[in-house]
Amino acid sequence: MIPGDFQLPKRNKKNLIYLVILSIVGLIGATVAITLLSFVLSAWFGLPLDVFGLNEGPDQPIKFPHKTHVEELGLDCTFCHRTVTSEASASVPSVTLCMTCHKSVGDDLEEIEKLRSIYASKGTIDWIRVHRVPDHAHFIHEAHVKHFSEKNNVEPAQTCSICHGNVAEMEKVRQARELKMGDCVDCHKKNDGPTDCTTCHY
Amino acid sequence: MLTTSRRKFLGLLGGTAIGAVVFQACGVPEKELIIQAPFEMPEDLVTGIDNWYATSINTTPATDGVVVRVMEGRAKKIEGNIDHPINQGKHSPRAEATLQSLYNPDRISSPLVRIGPRGSGKWEQISWTDAIARVSEQISNIDDKSSILMANNRLSGHSQMILNNFTTSLGCKNLIYEPIESTNLRSAINHVFNQTQIPDFDIKNSKFLLSFGADFLESWVSPTKYSRDFGHFRQGGDVRGKMIHVSSRYSMTAANADEWIYVNPGTEGLLAMSIAYVIIRRKLGNQANIASLTNNGRFDMSEYSPGKVCNIISPYLTADQIVKIANEFIEHSPSLAIGGDSVGSHTNGFDSLSAIYSLNYLVNNIGKKGGVIYQPKPAMPELINNEIPGSFSEWEKVTTDMREGKINILLTSNIDPVYGLPGSLKVKEILSSENTVPLIVSFSGHMDDTTSMADLILPQGDPLEEWGTNIPDPGPGYQTLGFQQPVVRPFFESKGKHYGNKSFSDSLISISKTMDLDIKINSDSIKDLVKEDSKKLFDLNRGSVRAQNDKEFWVGVLQRGGWWDVKNMFKGKINKPPKFKNLPTPVFNDNAEYDFHLIPFVSNGISDGSGANLPWMQSLPDPISTATWSTWVEINLKDANKLDITEGDIIKITNQSGKSIEAIAYPNPASAPNTVCVPVGQGHTSMGRYAKNRGANVLSILDPSKDDNTGSLAWSATKVQIAKTGDWKKLPQMENELGDFPRDPERKVIKIDGDGEKNEHH
Amino acid sequence: MAETKWGMVVDLDKCTGCQSCVVACQSENNIPINTEDIFNQRRAIEWIRIERYWEGEFPNVKARYVPVLCQHCDEAPCEPVCPVLATYHNDQGLNVQVYNRCIGTRFCANNCPYTVRFFNFWEPEWPDSLKNQLNPDVTVRSRGIMEKCTFCIQRIRRVSKNSKSGEKTNERDLNPACTNACATDALVFGNLNDPESKVSKARSKGEKRSYKMLEELGTEPNVIYLKKVEKGNKQENHVH
Repeated sequence: MIPGDFQLPKRNKKNLIYLVILSIVGLIGATVAITLLSFVLSAWFGLPLDVFGLNEGPDQPIKFPHKTHVEELGLDCTFCHRTVTSEASASVPSVTLCMTCHKSVGDDLEEIEKLRSIYASKGTIDWIRVHRVPDHAHFIHEAHVKHFSEKNNVEPAQTCSICHGNVAEMEKVRQARELKMGDCVDCHKKNDGPTDCTTCHY
Repeated sequence: MLTTSRRKFLGLLGGTAIGAVVFQACGVPEKELIIQAPFEMPEDLVTGIDNWYATSINTTPATDGVVVRVMEGRAKKIEGNIDHPINQGKHSPRAEATLQSLYNPDRISSPLVRIGPRGSGKWEQISWTDAIARVSEQISNIDDKSSILMANNRLSGHSQMILNNFTTSLGCKNLIYEPIESTNLRSAINHVFNQTQIPDFDIKNSKFLLSFGADFLESWVSPTKYSRDFGHFRQGGDVRGKMIHVSSRYSMTAANADEWIYVNPGTEGLLAMSIAYVIIRRKLGNQANIASLTNNGRFDMSEYSPGKVCNIISPYLTADQIVKIANEFIEHSPSLAIGGDSVGSHTNGFDSLSAIYSLNYLVNNIGKKGGVIYQPKPAMPELINNEIPGSFSEWEKVTTDMREGKINILLTSNIDPVYGLPGSLKVKEILSSENTVPLIVSFSGHMDDTTSMADLILPQGDPLEEWGTNIPDPGPGYQTLGFQQPVVRPFFESKGKHYGNKSFSDSLISISKTMDLDIKINSDSIKDLVKEDSKKLFDLNRGSVRAQNDKEFWVGVLQRGGWWDVKNMFKGKINKPPKFKNLPTPVFNDNAEYDFHLIPFVSNGISDGSGANLPWMQSLPDPISTATWSTWVEINLKDANKLDITEGDIIKITNQSGKSIEAIAYPNPASAPNTVCVPVGQGHTSMGRYAKNRGANVLSILDPSKDDNTGSLAWSATKVQIAKTGDWKKLPQMENELGDFPRDPERKVIKIDGDGEKNEHH
Repeated sequence: MAETKWGMVVDLDKCTGCQSCVVACQSENNIPINTEDIFNQRRAIEWIRIERYWEGEFPNVKARYVPVLCQHCDEAPCEPVCPVLATYHNDQGLNVQVYNRCIGTRFCANNCPYTVRFFNFWEPEWPDSLKNQLNPDVTVRSRGIMEKCTFCIQRIRRVSKNSKSGEKTNERDLNPACTNACATDALVFGNLNDPESKVSKARSKGEKRSYKMLEELGTEPNVIYLKKVEKGNKQENHVH
């Protein structure tokens, strides 16, 4: 044979079967990969896809029902998240605050007993964080709550749902909005907020 | 710079370990945001907000009133307490580094009992009940209680009271240890001013400051307070104060003086006497005081005439210069003379310091603005320690006793004599045998060289975790009591069964309870005692905290970080000055072959070695050499040239008994010929990852010569030989860090010449 | 004129070289531990550092101290060279560094005449227990990122969020960590455009002694140095 002379391999039935099997495997592989990638990308660029309970929010050490407290009892968000109108952070309340009511309210409930035993042992509840922006982004609740409550002329507690969704209806708190930089910047532009990088990044 | 939330979602998606590693956030790990050690205040349990708590901590060398930022149960930042009379809102680098002492990775987390041979570093955890029981039993078993030695650092406030009651009731020996002794200073102040507490030197309002060897801006007595005053001294008042610094080593304080006067080691007192001679001779100054100083003129001062002494003091000093200093000292009222550090570290240290402090009587500045202000009796006199610390000679005696088996139990707290006492005493050798001292108990919270030799460790907590009170020494000239409260819950408390620390005072209370020893304290803990005693302060009904009732008062003192009464100042009579004494010449072990004076010094980073386990302190550039993390030798440029030494050469320094250390050469433009200056603080054989086996311990090669008046160690009296080893090591220093140094070559300075004309140079 | 322009006055006559500022800065801003190895690699990070200059020969020798930090220049040489706009001037006169934009070209550090920009050559490392001390308000910079003095922008943000409610006094109490720690009050920080601020007062008080570092380069720094005063033998002058 002359070097470089190219000849097509001979086709036979066996090769064809291999080819079919290979393409089917490839197709399945590609589908799986694309599906996985779409999961990854959706999580990356926004919220995870709302299937298989992926966007459900974590199980908390105590199943705190916002629904009971907010919708049924009518507590204000700021009753527990006290510093939201004055500080950068919305602050998760101390066990002591929970116990102001639960010393007497809610006997015989398993979750309340958990709370009481934590209080008795001077322990803390290791809540799992649901909303978390990256370490290099700093979010100041006070400024946002103030802006929206003044703009819409509403109580501070009524501005929370802009970012957090209707927590009052959630049995289990989950993230309702992307809270990615694009999300932030869009909103800032819409509301004439500062877009200087060091407003958030420092 | 990727995010944690994404990482979490990837984890959910089975992005598995790879995802978690790749997208590991660079910041605070997520688990860090879970509350780990909140203190009992409910506000601490609230995530996301910070609180500032006031406390007062005793860091080397002074007490600082601080506020600590606590977030989610962790201490984040320390700042000066703006109300506190000593540091007035400012703080020293060492105070800031208390955070690294609190969160030090090598802290002792539980009581330990030795299982291997002594010093082997093999320990077993035991419970606190067990530890207290063991110590109590051992102490009870000793019939002769005077064979028990309690050795500790200088304490004040309630911990001092508890310790004092404990040692008195038990009948054991008690000795204070200081690596850099203040024995001479305290003795001289007692002698000259008849005061047991160091007076307040009012640098702030003085116009002329004569400082003999005292590195008051970096390490001497109360640097933060003096720095605060110094800022005002320079640019705060109508007239810019002038400062002259007299010393053998060029220190940071010397660099801040308007004039630095080099003196041969041990001749500072001679200069002071010569200044006194000029003033007395010219019939200047306060005549009544001069009469008692010179015993109505009977004291013969002629030996101290500037012409006679100037060459002894320094080859560069002229008689005219001495006369000029004397004139300025008189003219620029109020003027002030202070002395310390290396002055007290010679065989004539006590007499030199006495001569220096006597200068203040010549200008009669005692009790006056800009002068020497005595401390009043504290509001609770039982809380103060009037004792002069155990001198070197006492420690010499104690080591002899140990060698002879006369000490049965050695109890130590927060001191490191194994590291700090001169090598010739062979403390480590003595302690490594169980035949000499059968039981060593350490109450230190860090594994220092002495604690690593212990049989039993009952670790105390960090100052930020404990209760107590502090009387600043020196105080601000009025009654002051700093309150110390835990700002975080003890770090190891919740880590496991046996974990946790107990304060030294609480350990002593527990031991005395187990032994049925009456220490005349009704409380179960130092906390209760402090709380109980705060009622006594409340009953005084004066001072910075006023309240309706004692409960409110207690909250008030904790909020303010202490109690002080600016109106309550020294009211006693000011004594006549003591008579001048002839000044002995300093004694050096002279030997032609050992031609270098060894001058150890304390740098403002790791100070006397107690800060060696703090990375911020280790990496703090020394103000003169800018060196970090090492032991270096400052040597005169011409000497270095002669011996062909360049920076980085490893130098062997040998004393006359043949002991030697090796350190890195730093040819220093400000070093005097025939002196080598070496920083104290490195060369630990233990004390955690940041300190262990780093650099060399200069204290180990000191000759055991001492001042006969006080028995204080003459730590600058050693003469040594130096030699190149041929090895080379880069000196880790800031100066070399950045290219094209210097960046501001003109360093614009305004020079004022003799006629007071301003010349702007730039 | 912008309402706020942050600046600092450094009084060299008061600075003692004690380095309180250095440690306070390291504590506040999560600066990685400068280990011995890092010093030997000449990669130590100190956002504020004390430079020591020698003058003269023994015994007439002088060591002088100059604290050097980012000068927050109006005409900052570091800004135009950044290919990704990670460093720029904000409306409050700060020269800012945006960590999440930085790609680590180090052009800015090359162009800075004050050498106050530091590159993270390594991932910062702390033992677990020391991580408890890290300030949650400040990003921990990872490997490959440029960092420098921010005038403690996290503190500015904390105050400015409150000052929106009309309280300007808040702003006047504001201090970066270094200024708060400085025992001699050699460092004074504040709003240069507010004539009542501490910094403006310190500046006008020391007018005669003021200069800017390397001002001949035209960088227009916002850190104003006050010259050291050196006394001769007689003390006559009243220097403010």
